[in-house]
Amino acid sequence: MKLPMIASVIAMRWFSVVALRLPLINSPVMLVIAVSLVVGLLMVLVFRAVSDQKAIRAAKDQLKAHLLAVRLFQDQLTVVMQSYGRILRGTARYIRLAFKPLLLVILPITLLIVQLDRYLGWMPLQHAQPFLVRVRAVSPDALNEVSLELPKEMALSAPAVHLPADSEVVWRVVAEINGTYNINVAAAGETFSKQVVVSQDLARISPTRRRDRFWERLFTSGEPALPTNGPIQSIEVAYPPRNIDLVIFESNWIIVFFVLSILAGFVFKSILGIEI
Amino acid sequence: MKWPIAPAVRKPGLLNLVPVLVVAIGLVLLFPVRSEAYAGPGAGFAVLSSFWTLFVAFLYSVYAFLTWPFRHVLRLLRRRKAYGKAQVTRAVILGFDGMDPELADRFMQEGKLSHLAKLRDQGTFLPLRTTCPAISPVAWSTFQTGVNPGKHNIYDFLARDLSSYLPFLSSAQIRGPKRRLRIGEYSVPLGKPEIKGLRRGTPFWHWLGKAGIFCSVIRVPVTFPPEKFPGVLLSGMCVPDLKGSQGTFCFCTTRGAGDKFREGGVRIPIERHGSVFRSYIPGPEDPLATNSGSGLRVDFELRADLRHNQARIEVDSQKFTLKIREYSEWIPVKFKAGLGFTARGICRFYVKQLSPEVEVYVTPVNIDPGRPDLPISHPVTYSIYLAKLFGPYATLGLAEDTWALNEEVLDDQAFLAQCYANHEDRERMLFDALDKTPQGLCVCVFDTTDRVQHMFWRYLEDDHPAARKVPPRPAAKCDRRSLSPHGRPYWPSHGPDRPQDLAARSLRSRLQVVYPLRQPERVAASEWVSRVEFRQE
Repeated sequence: MKLPMIASVIAMRWFSVVALRLPLINSPVMLVIAVSLVVGLLMVLVFRAVSDQKAIRAAKDQLKAHLLAVRLFQDQLTVVMQSYGRILRGTARYIRLAFKPLLLVILPITLLIVQLDRYLGWMPLQHAQPFLVRVRAVSPDALNEVSLELPKEMALSAPAVHLPADSEVVWRVVAEINGTYNINVAAAGETFSKQVVVSQDLARISPTRRRDRFWERLFTSGEPALPTNGPIQSIEVAYPPRNIDLVIFESNWIIVFFVLSILAGFVFKSILGIEI
Repeated sequence: MKWPIAPAVRKPGLLNLVPVLVVAIGLVLLFPVRSEAYAGPGAGFAVLSSFWTLFVAFLYSVYAFLTWPFRHVLRLLRRRKAYGKAQVTRAVILGFDGMDPELADRFMQEGKLSHLAKLRDQGTFLPLRTTCPAISPVAWSTFQTGVNPGKHNIYDFLARDLSSYLPFLSSAQIRGPKRRLRIGEYSVPLGKPEIKGLRRGTPFWHWLGKAGIFCSVIRVPVTFPPEKFPGVLLSGMCVPDLKGSQGTFCFCTTRGAGDKFREGGVRIPIERHGSVFRSYIPGPEDPLATNSGSGLRVDFELRADLRHNQARIEVDSQKFTLKIREYSEWIPVKFKAGLGFTARGICRFYVKQLSPEVEVYVTPVNIDPGRPDLPISHPVTYSIYLAKLFGPYATLGLAEDTWALNEEVLDDQAFLAQCYANHEDRERMLFDALDKTPQGLCVCVFDTTDRVQHMFWRYLEDDHPAARKVPPRPAAKCDRRSLSPHGRPYWPSHGPDRPQDLAARSLRSRLQVVYPLRQPERVAASEWVSRVEFRQE
């Protein structure tokens, strides 16, 4: 079960070590475009490999035929309604045929997107700009024991704010120099670290460190789990969300990826003669 | 008779992984968390494609539904109550080209044509008076226009150019675009080919259409080019192949150049490169060529597997396996001319033999009904509709390759297989037209009767010279398969085994083919052939 996840993590590590050093890939826009093209291509290849191309072609042809029937015999209302019924049945059949390959790719694609979201979903912190560090304890009573230890390149810019109703304590911090740091949260005699990235470049960001279930962490965190029996539930750094600027519009990378990967898929399927 | 279709290749599945993935995804779903990701472009493709189809269908349906009352009122006004006093709301005309009335009468009396006999008993059975000359295009032109040849201008398949006395097709004239642009080695056509129908007169379905009666017209001869009218029409006899001829088959062989064919058909050499045999299918003239005579072609490769009596053929990007004496399905071929100009067609392959020589017959390249380069239906989308619904089908006017049989490139079995396959397609079209025309007129012409009688009349005459040319090969037992009165095949317990034995019998020897009509259903071609009555008496 963990095999695809491990593979995707290894791929991401390689990606962060090697690929991000390429100047073009270091640009978020170019990265989204490149990933969309590659994923679009891989998707259609996987689709071809695991789908029943002949059945899909036949299902699509039948659908088109019934669509044409609606147009050709539009004066015969019974024929139109019959054709519409057949279109509904044909669509269900097509979705059933397309669902098998979808099942096969949904997991690796989801993992890939989660991993990419570490790079593209958030921007690293900027030096000299304050940011919030939010720590959630297991109970309001534990808040009094929680303290924050910062590296020397960082400093508090405001006193801590305690929110007992939420079992949270919030600090406002500012970094002086770019770099990747570990801030430490001390509580009940234990110390828990959290990575903070201050940079101008594309970097792997983990906005939160938590102790929740494996799948929950997989989708929200990029760091090891906090101890289950410890006093801290989560440590969160408020990174600013990233938007991809495509000159004509600005949007979350997922939407850009959605549009571009589908476009790329349609282009590649035409070139490779693949029925989708 | 074995009606052969290449077997579909089943892919070894990665689908064994599906249950594992279903379980995995199920686990994920058991522990749901908020996620801003989406399920990748696969989901996007599926959603977009299906949603788009439904959306378009919905729009069409809403449009048809909302505008129907207005259109209905308009039709009522225009047709002046076309169905007002009608005793029937639908009329069906089934044409059987070349069907001999005497033979039909005799077979009905003998109880062999039970369906037609029932029609006769319920209605009227009379011989039709034909035209002079009694030739299919002439007679069918009169059928549809109600005028004599002097008025509809069709006297034969061919007419003569009065200035040169050269023959040309009497029903239609296809000319290239008048204007061309010379760019280097290319001569680029500016505009579309000009197709001019030469048949005069007005088909009766035009009058019916004007009166508000919807007509479905399928494969009536001399309906190319299709004319605009309120209904649907698929052109029949006289539709050319992609080369513009009335059917030029291609015979690829490793044999040395022999005699030329007497009629349409070209012999193409097959070159051997190790274990691979290479040849090509000749196509239409290059539309960009500055000089005539340079034709387009599509190359293909063949790998013989003698152990299994089969060959692997690769044409364009398609690969398929064919047993010896087996037809392929319709294979789409694309003739590329440069500058993005292409001509699309469909053809079938038939491996005649693999040893000692390799011989492959390729049917004339038909206009692809799914992407017609020339209009073969009205509206143009009707041929596309039929192609999407039933798959590719023969569009050539004379789709049954009588010339190949004359040249003995095909034998009787292979020719009949072609006839029955086309007949099966036609039957599906007819039943679909009946389904889609609850009110109005349905006309469908079957021409297998004509082709079979032309090519096998030799068996009806004891001393027919062509009958002697039948190769002395035992006929397959299933050739004598017949239909019982209940429509099920049975095996006659007597009868000669060889075709020449049939011919050698007395004048009473008859080879009879009867086509039982049935409701539309998806049956394998082999099953259909088994239903065909092909009886020696």
